Amino acid sequence: MTFRFAAAVFITLLLVVANTVVLLKDYEQRLSAYNTATQESHQELRKQKVYSRYAMKLIVHRPPNPLSIFNLGLDKQVGNEIAVYHAFVPTVWDAVKHGADNPFLNLFTSIDIALIFQGVLSLLALVFAYDALAGERERGTLRLVLTHPIQRGYILFAKYISAMLCLLVPLLISLLLSIILLTTSTSISWNADDFLRIGGIILISLLYISLFYLIGLCISAMTRRTSTALMLSMFAWGFLVLVYPNLILTAVDIVPKPETQTSAYNQIKQMWEELDREKKKFLRNDTILGPLSRDGESWGFRLKGGEYSFLRDADKPSTLLYFYQSGFYAGKIKAESEPHVPLVQSYYGFHNREIVSTVNRTWLVREPALEAVYIQPANLGRMLLKFSPVGLYDAATEAWAGTDVEGIQDFFSAVRRYRRAVIDYFYDKKIFESRQWFAADEGTADWDALPRFSFQRSDISINAKRAFPDLFLLLMINVVLFVIIFLIFIRSEV
Amino acid sequence: MWHITKREIYDNLNSLRFALTTVLLLALMGTNAVKHLREHPKRVQRYQDAVTESLNRLTTRADDSLYKLAQYGPGNFYKKPSPLHFCANGGETILPDTVEVNEPPVFATDSDNNVLLKGIWSLSYPDANLQNKDIGPNVSQVDWAFIIGYVLSLIAVLFTFDAFSGERERGTLRLMLANSIPRHTVLIGKFLGALLSISIPFILAVLVNLLLISTANTVHLTTEAWGRLGIIFFLALLYTSLFLALGLLVSTRVQRSAVSLMILLLTWVTFVVFMPSTCASIASSFSPAMSFDEFWQQRNPIREDLWDKYEQWLWSSKLDDTTLRAKSDFYTENAKREERRHEERLKYRTSQVHRARAITSLSPATLLQHLIEAFAGTGFERHLQFAGNVQRYARQLRGFVADTDRGDSESLHVIGVREGMSQKPVNSKAVPRFEDTLSLSKDFNTAAMELLLLVLFVVVLLSGAYLAFVRVEV
Repeated sequence: MTFRFAAAVFITLLLVVANTVVLLKDYEQRLSAYNTATQESHQELRKQKVYSRYAMKLIVHRPPNPLSIFNLGLDKQVGNEIAVYHAFVPTVWDAVKHGADNPFLNLFTSIDIALIFQGVLSLLALVFAYDALAGERERGTLRLVLTHPIQRGYILFAKYISAMLCLLVPLLISLLLSIILLTTSTSISWNADDFLRIGGIILISLLYISLFYLIGLCISAMTRRTSTALMLSMFAWGFLVLVYPNLILTAVDIVPKPETQTSAYNQIKQMWEELDREKKKFLRNDTILGPLSRDGESWGFRLKGGEYSFLRDADKPSTLLYFYQSGFYAGKIKAESEPHVPLVQSYYGFHNREIVSTVNRTWLVREPALEAVYIQPANLGRMLLKFSPVGLYDAATEAWAGTDVEGIQDFFSAVRRYRRAVIDYFYDKKIFESRQWFAADEGTADWDALPRFSFQRSDISINAKRAFPDLFLLLMINVVLFVIIFLIFIRSEV
Repeated sequence: MWHITKREIYDNLNSLRFALTTVLLLALMGTNAVKHLREHPKRVQRYQDAVTESLNRLTTRADDSLYKLAQYGPGNFYKKPSPLHFCANGGETILPDTVEVNEPPVFATDSDNNVLLKGIWSLSYPDANLQNKDIGPNVSQVDWAFIIGYVLSLIAVLFTFDAFSGERERGTLRLMLANSIPRHTVLIGKFLGALLSISIPFILAVLVNLLLISTANTVHLTTEAWGRLGIIFFLALLYTSLFLALGLLVSTRVQRSAVSLMILLLTWVTFVVFMPSTCASIASSFSPAMSFDEFWQQRNPIREDLWDKYEQWLWSSKLDDTTLRAKSDFYTENAKREERRHEERLKYRTSQVHRARAITSLSPATLLQHLIEAFAGTGFERHLQFAGNVQRYARQLRGFVADTDRGDSESLHVIGVREGMSQKPVNSKAVPRFEDTLSLSKDFNTAAMELLLLVLFVVVLLSGAYLAFVRVEV
């Protein structure tokens, strides 16, 4: 029961418990914001009488991830509200934030349990290790120990195991307390998989601590004096944990970013312009609907009974989002316009099919361009971060918690699948060319028959698969470092 | 005393920590300078393009007529990028860099989309920098605030943890105190020695950084900027002294240097790394902000209220004084209320951030961060100053429009209504221009409280170290 052990346990417990309470409260707030938002958009959609009004009203929300308490990752940073619409393919860049957030509060850095372990446990591991060999050498006890017929490898191994056990105590006690706190909360429903994921996080934490202990041991084996070992360990800690991640990301920022945006954006815009020409051609050949006024169909093809028209569009070159679509709403169509109705119906059927196929074509351009502009630089940064154990640890815990890029992308691919399902449903039921698309006089839209959106976090095996490379790397570095220490130690003069 | 200081410096100069510190600081400051040199010209270019465009709008409107100017107002306003951006990033990815000028609202159109009633411009404050859709890893940038706040403070701790406990372990403390030197001289000597030996690598790194930045012809630092840099440098020394004092305090009370380091490091981690974020999380969960929907819903009662009051005149096409004045009142009142609604939202959010900042001020690292932001002209307070500048300019421009209109004898002097205003073009040179200025005295005012707190921290810790050392048994 040395002082450093007591201090280690105390400070880890204090930080973890205090932050668990704060993080839990934050999670509960986000969850309730999610629930309100989901309910609101549900009601909002049901107020609409015609199908075409589902645009920007059929909104799906991303639930907060309960494991974000352990590693926040991108869970809070990325938008959590996205519209499902046939005129664009939803991506993470189109998502917006719902709820009562004050965006300025993001000025303060956020914290999670992985961050505490990352900072404190690595420091403790080094403090435990710096005098393991150098200290014994200074006091002369090392010589004494080695006079016994014990192999040097055993000594090293025994030291390693005992120190790891000591370091496990603060890790496990603090995690236990935080899990107890979390399970008492009624807002989170944990299942067996979540506990397995937490188990994965513990495993990674263990490897991470062990790595720092070995770094400390390595320094200790190489130096003669404890004060030098201590100084070197502390600088190593400062560099690996504090300086390197920030330095490398700043350096990556200096590298010019790829600029494929404008050409891809122009391509997408051209596709939409082509669609516009197609539309006008379709209408021009039609004697009753055409020729058109300024805005095409905006006043309902002179259909008597039109109430209002609307235009949905987006033009965001930075995220390569471009679309526009107009339509109109008719409450009750007058009898004299009745012969026009089938024509308008067939026009919408044609036009919406064209939109869907245009969007599919733009997606072929947009997806790789977004990947090049946003994902590749981010991945480069992440890759370089992994040269520090901190980066490896962060990536692996994120993968277990499901708050990494892939975990977030899972949600958006689920949204894309849902969009596909909605369009298929519209095709199946011939909704695009139905009267209910624009008029509410003969039956209104039936929103309950629409497919439901559901999102399940990825399977634990997928989490494990994503965390595996980092876990393996950490393990390998551990083994290599241990071998190096062993070699240094057996060759060193006592 | 000078003897002790000198001896300390010589000791440190030869040590491993001194070499490592120099390398570390040079690498950090070098990266910082290179990054600034690459990014600042782009930032300035973006700002200038935006300002030119916004100025063009103003001139075309002024050239058209005074009425157009009164109706559409100026173009959007942009925050001038600070030349000292490398000192503190100040959350530029989160804070918006514009204040927008809303297009005049259309209250009614006829069936051919012709506008019947159109209001006048108002200001609105966008939420955040919407350009930022990054999904990259979230780490703070290497700016001076980071280098001083995190790295330099850690180094300060590493330079002092063994100041007394190390000497006690080696037995030299007893030897030194056997001489007839007063204890406080020893303490001050040690303190100055450590401060100077940290200053050497720090000054070296700062010089390299500033040399890189000032010799490049893409970035210009004015005299005022150099003054501000001087203040920031002084702040860095003050902040370092705080951690030196803490190190000395712990070192006097603890027998062994390993224990002393352990205590210091844990204190450092808690106060510098964790306290800011934990405190901010606690503070931000006190009161949730108003949601966007609520904010929009507030608009309807305002409009209805105004419609009820002015409706009898709005549809009339008569050109008599009462009708025109009623229309003008309706437009201005609507714009004013709209603007107030936006301002109140900003104020509410500001008060939330201020509360969080007050609580996080318990950590000296955040204090320093705020101080450097204040003097580098970035960050949250700067954003508020910018918003204030815009509001002042908006008042000035409205005053100018009213004054110019009064000068036209053909006009009926009813602002915001076509028939009631001067239709003559305005000399665009005479229209006041928006200038986003920074004033050092204002920055001092906003930073005074935090500066005082930091000084207080240092004084308390130093006197603590003094008392502890005077009473300690050797």
